[in-house]
Amino acid sequence: MSGSLILQSVVLGVLLGGLYALLAAGLTLYFGVMRVVMIAHSAFLILAAYLAWYFTSQTGLDPLFSLIITVPLFFVAGVVMQRLLISRLRPATLTMMSVLLTFSIALVIEGMLGFIFSGTQRRIQLPYSGTSFEVFGANIAVVKLIAFVLAAASLLALYLIMKRTRFGQALRATIQHPEAARLVGVNTDRVAGYGFGLGLATAAVGGTALALDSTIYPSLHWHWIGPLMAIIVVGGLGSIPGAAIAAMVLGIGQALLQLPLGTTWAQTIFYVALFATLMLRPQGFFGGRLAQRF
Amino acid sequence: MIGHERREGRGHRVGGAWKRGSSAVVAGVAALTLAGCLSSGSAGGGGGDSDEDGPITIGISLPLTGDFSEPGKGVQRGYEAWAAYVNENGGLLGREVELKILDDQSNADRVASDYEKLINQDGVDLVFGPFSTRLVVPAAQVAQDYGFLFVEPAGAAEEIFTQGFDNLFYAAPAVAQDHYDYLADYIEQMPEAERPKTAAYAAMDDPFAQGTAYGLKDRLEEMGVETVVDEVYPPNTTDFSSIANKIADSDADILVGGTQYQDAVNLIVAVRQLGYQPRMAAFSTAPTNPEFPEAIGAQTEGIISPTGYTPEASWETNAEFVEFYTEMHGTPPNEDEANAWTTGQVVAAAVEAVECADASPECQQSLIDWLRENEVQTVVGPLSWDEAGRPQGAHLIQQYVDGEIKIVLPEEAAEADFIAEKPAW
Repeated sequence: MSGSLILQSVVLGVLLGGLYALLAAGLTLYFGVMRVVMIAHSAFLILAAYLAWYFTSQTGLDPLFSLIITVPLFFVAGVVMQRLLISRLRPATLTMMSVLLTFSIALVIEGMLGFIFSGTQRRIQLPYSGTSFEVFGANIAVVKLIAFVLAAASLLALYLIMKRTRFGQALRATIQHPEAARLVGVNTDRVAGYGFGLGLATAAVGGTALALDSTIYPSLHWHWIGPLMAIIVVGGLGSIPGAAIAAMVLGIGQALLQLPLGTTWAQTIFYVALFATLMLRPQGFFGGRLAQRF
Repeated sequence: MIGHERREGRGHRVGGAWKRGSSAVVAGVAALTLAGCLSSGSAGGGGGDSDEDGPITIGISLPLTGDFSEPGKGVQRGYEAWAAYVNENGGLLGREVELKILDDQSNADRVASDYEKLINQDGVDLVFGPFSTRLVVPAAQVAQDYGFLFVEPAGAAEEIFTQGFDNLFYAAPAVAQDHYDYLADYIEQMPEAERPKTAAYAAMDDPFAQGTAYGLKDRLEEMGVETVVDEVYPPNTTDFSSIANKIADSDADILVGGTQYQDAVNLIVAVRQLGYQPRMAAFSTAPTNPEFPEAIGAQTEGIISPTGYTPEASWETNAEFVEFYTEMHGTPPNEDEANAWTTGQVVAAAVEAVECADASPECQQSLIDWLRENEVQTVVGPLSWDEAGRPQGAHLIQQYVDGEIKIVLPEEAAEADFIAEKPAW
């Protein structure tokens, strides 16, 4: 196994890990804010990818411009979904029932995509889809770099919102102690709605990034939800930095393991990590009390 | 008490068995007598002549509803077009051809009882096969039990040919392993110095996709082409960057993909991102998909793919088939229709050669024997079979030449010259 092969794998792993990090950040946010297990997160991801593909095939513009439409759209959809559906679930059984509810939403999205766009595999044809440049002997594909930069920028934006804005403070207060937050005058219902919208907005960015470099089809989301769920458990449910770090570690790990093990076995890293975490540190590596420190 | 009861019971059972046996004998005698009457009746009363002049009935069961209804209907269109064509051109042995098509609802139990019914009750003269491996196996078993010739249009999987059927013939150019034979032949006759030295294989974990890639792998390894990458990936894989990384790192001369569709597209983009330029690149299935050039863009040039049928193929009867079919249905035929038509051609060739078409074991056996020994000209090329019914041909090799997919091998069927040195993608 040559050094250049390993270097290239690390580069690919970092680029892949960045995308995983963004997607997992949204997923863990829902759980942190309202203890919701959002199975439909990856379905919204694929929906955003389809919207980007449709946008490009209709207008001929770069799919990145579709973000101008999809990000606000998904934010509003998230708020509406939280206010109309999730908030009606009984708090005592919220986590469990949210699995059923969002599972059905995922099925509805998949069915609608299949109905409207058919099951045909779609791909955005970009003039730069195969373009790459070389850094220290490793090739970095332009589309993968764009996806990585999008993910990094979104994570940074998320961080700044959480840390520097009043809304972010209210959101963190809601995550840490909803009752106390209500006592000091935070409208936790509204904040939870916006938090949900924020999570879905990351799906819009992630979906567009995904569509740049992958064929898409309606049932693709089942392929994503498993690894993403594993990442947020390993990272610690509710912890955004935990999710980002776990995503990066597992992404690089997957890319490296593919060298000796092949594709079939390398994908088990997510589940091996999941089982190991549940056995050794069930709260996740950044979970429990640490999850609230963001 | 108990012993007595048991003895009594046994005695009773013996009595019952004897009674059943005797009634079976009676029924058998009656049936024989009846059969004798019937056959003497038809032979005596000039019925032999009417049988000779009446239509040849062909029994078929197809999945017209259920899982395989789409390809099943394609096969039905092909069979019906073939029958219409034969009847317009004077029939078979001067007799009309009549199809009797039942719907097996894509159900393997149903397909077996369908063929039982066709052979026993409806008294068909010949049978044609159904669609798909799952249905071909039980149907072929019934045909085998009755000594019928069984030519089938679909079912390329190896398991069909390992069941010990001696009446089965697959009416298509090649089983999966042989799809690339023309390409392998071409590489074999290249001067040693110009042949590819190293090869990279990536195949989906699927018997058909792997079959195509490994068929070529076996041939290339025999020629001394070194295998430098051999990767298998699960069908749901969408991220091919790591496989591409290994392939690019090996810098293999020829890249072979045992692919379906999206996997080929993603793999090609991924290796391009890593700057890998093979001298030859071959993928199963995907490149013949009309979506493929849309997804890959201008970089399709020189990409190779085997194909079982194309309306453009120059086999002698193909142009007539395409014209007849297009007139009947408004669109050119695809592979399902072509394989159904081929089935008709194969059986017809045997019937014309041995000059019989009836359900008698002698006639069916002579049809089977004739097909074992002979080659048949069909719309998918000349076909001949081994003892298990595997067709001995190969798929046509297509390649993107000037932005369009064209037949390049074998030379006698080629529409364009083979590009041995693939342009950069």
